Amino acid sequence: MKDRLQNWLPRLVVAPSFLLVLLFVYGFILYTAYLSMTNSRMLPSSEWVGFANYTKLFKLRSWDTALKNLAIFGILYIVICSALGLFLAILLDQKIRAEGVIRPIYLYPMALSFIVTGTAWKWFLDPGIGIENTMHAWGWESFHFDWIKNRSFAIYTVVMAAVWQSSGFVMAMFLAGLRGVDNEIIKAAQIDGASGFRIYRRIIIPLMRPVFLSAFVVLAHLAIKAYDLVIALTGGGPGRATELPATFMYSYTFTRNQMGIGASSAIIMLIMIFSIIIPYVYSETKNGENR
Amino acid sequence: MARAVTTQRKIINTAAAWAVGLLIFFPILWTVLTSFKTEATAIADPPVFLFFDWTFENYKVVTERSDYARFLWNSIFIAGGSTLLGILVAVPAAWSMAFVPSRRTKDILLWMLSTKMLPAVGVLYPIYLLFIKMGLLDSRLGLTLVLMLINLPIIIWMLYTYFREIPGEILEAARMDGATLRSEILFVLIPLAVPGIASTLLLNFILAWNEAFWTLNLTAAKAAPLTAFIASYSSPEGLFYAKLSAASTMAIAPILILGWFSQKQLVRGLTFGAVK
Repeated sequence: MKDRLQNWLPRLVVAPSFLLVLLFVYGFILYTAYLSMTNSRMLPSSEWVGFANYTKLFKLRSWDTALKNLAIFGILYIVICSALGLFLAILLDQKIRAEGVIRPIYLYPMALSFIVTGTAWKWFLDPGIGIENTMHAWGWESFHFDWIKNRSFAIYTVVMAAVWQSSGFVMAMFLAGLRGVDNEIIKAAQIDGASGFRIYRRIIIPLMRPVFLSAFVVLAHLAIKAYDLVIALTGGGPGRATELPATFMYSYTFTRNQMGIGASSAIIMLIMIFSIIIPYVYSETKNGENR
Repeated sequence: MARAVTTQRKIINTAAAWAVGLLIFFPILWTVLTSFKTEATAIADPPVFLFFDWTFENYKVVTERSDYARFLWNSIFIAGGSTLLGILVAVPAAWSMAFVPSRRTKDILLWMLSTKMLPAVGVLYPIYLLFIKMGLLDSRLGLTLVLMLINLPIIIWMLYTYFREIPGEILEAARMDGATLRSEILFVLIPLAVPGIASTLLLNFILAWNEAFWTLNLTAAKAAPLTAFIASYSSPEGLFYAKLSAASTMAIAPILILGWFSQKQLVRGLTFGAVK
């Protein structure tokens, strides 16, 4: 009896965590999926409407804006962060003096809450008190920068703040990748007379493909989840110009009491994330078995 | 990668790296500096950088408002509470996964970790409705529980990676000597894993401190932490510019200090182990 218990104990102690995650993540997602198929408004209802909420959702102009914004924001955020991150990592890889001090500085923004980032950037970008005002005070009268108040450009200010927050962190990912490259390969290339630039382009960067993949997955899921930064920076405005799916979901349920439609937008976001992480997790477990 | 670099290039590179560093650090620096200015200096034309009369007035005003203290206390309570609770739940699970792994352990771990990537909106309704039913809306306890749950996968996984570095023979020896599981974990494993547990605590505290989606959605006035406090100052019209800077500085000060020591854990935690 005691031996039995000894054998089962390890499984038993994992169970609470396992069940908690199972219930609170997947159980609740199933409930959200159920809600998305019902006629729920302010309170959940059990009136089944099938996919009607989804058809309604995709006819909404504000959802359309949210998706377009996500596309703009997501693509720019991922591309710029990766490029900057790679550049900074290569820069730090050049035997910089006091690298141990610079690295944490690059990483600082990431340690801050998106709320703080958003608030700080709101001041910097505000034409009245921020960069524009400073430039005017310094005598550059014609300087004009009011993107944050401009419907067509406000989404790019969200990109700027997000890039500021995340670039250092992508840098850290790439730096770890660079440091992991086998020195022998580089030495061999140098003996063959390859220049520094060519070594990076032809040898090191191709070797870092897994790091690019990880960076992509991390950045993509952050982009789809983006919520607090927009809330703090623009509040989804001006108008609804910087609405993203997560802020859409929130405003549609809690200010318009359309729980069913809100739930269907949440499910669409989940599908987006799943389509990114399932292949990734799958390939990771595959690699693990081969190792 | 280490290669020979000429001195001249090294100086240029170092200068470039520092310039970028300054650029990145500038918004933080500016916020901290502004917090020491008077409201008039804060919006002065042209802006003053370093040479102004430093004042602690803003800090005094902000802390004297009793509600700031409450936001701060809520932040400490929620971040600290969810972290400690999470560790309590996670230690046994991580112990089992690290020392008595089954064939499925790795998959379960990865599966758990991947849930951290899912958008919170996917579970907002059930939790919201549950909170209404149980009267947990705008309560510190409710928020603590939610943050514990959403960070649990990361805590388990981080503890797991640290536990794995401890040789299992030590635990086995303790078991041979007749130690129960409880004393094996409490008196053998935990003392050996103190650095790892401390790192996990640190990372999770920062994550919980910064959390905004749940704090904004599940709290109103009573249980709102500092993130909600800063977000509530939505008007940038310059009226309380210096005071808001002081409040922000106080909100990020713990992070600025902890962040210096925990950057490695942050990178690991936020990349889900992609960077070791």
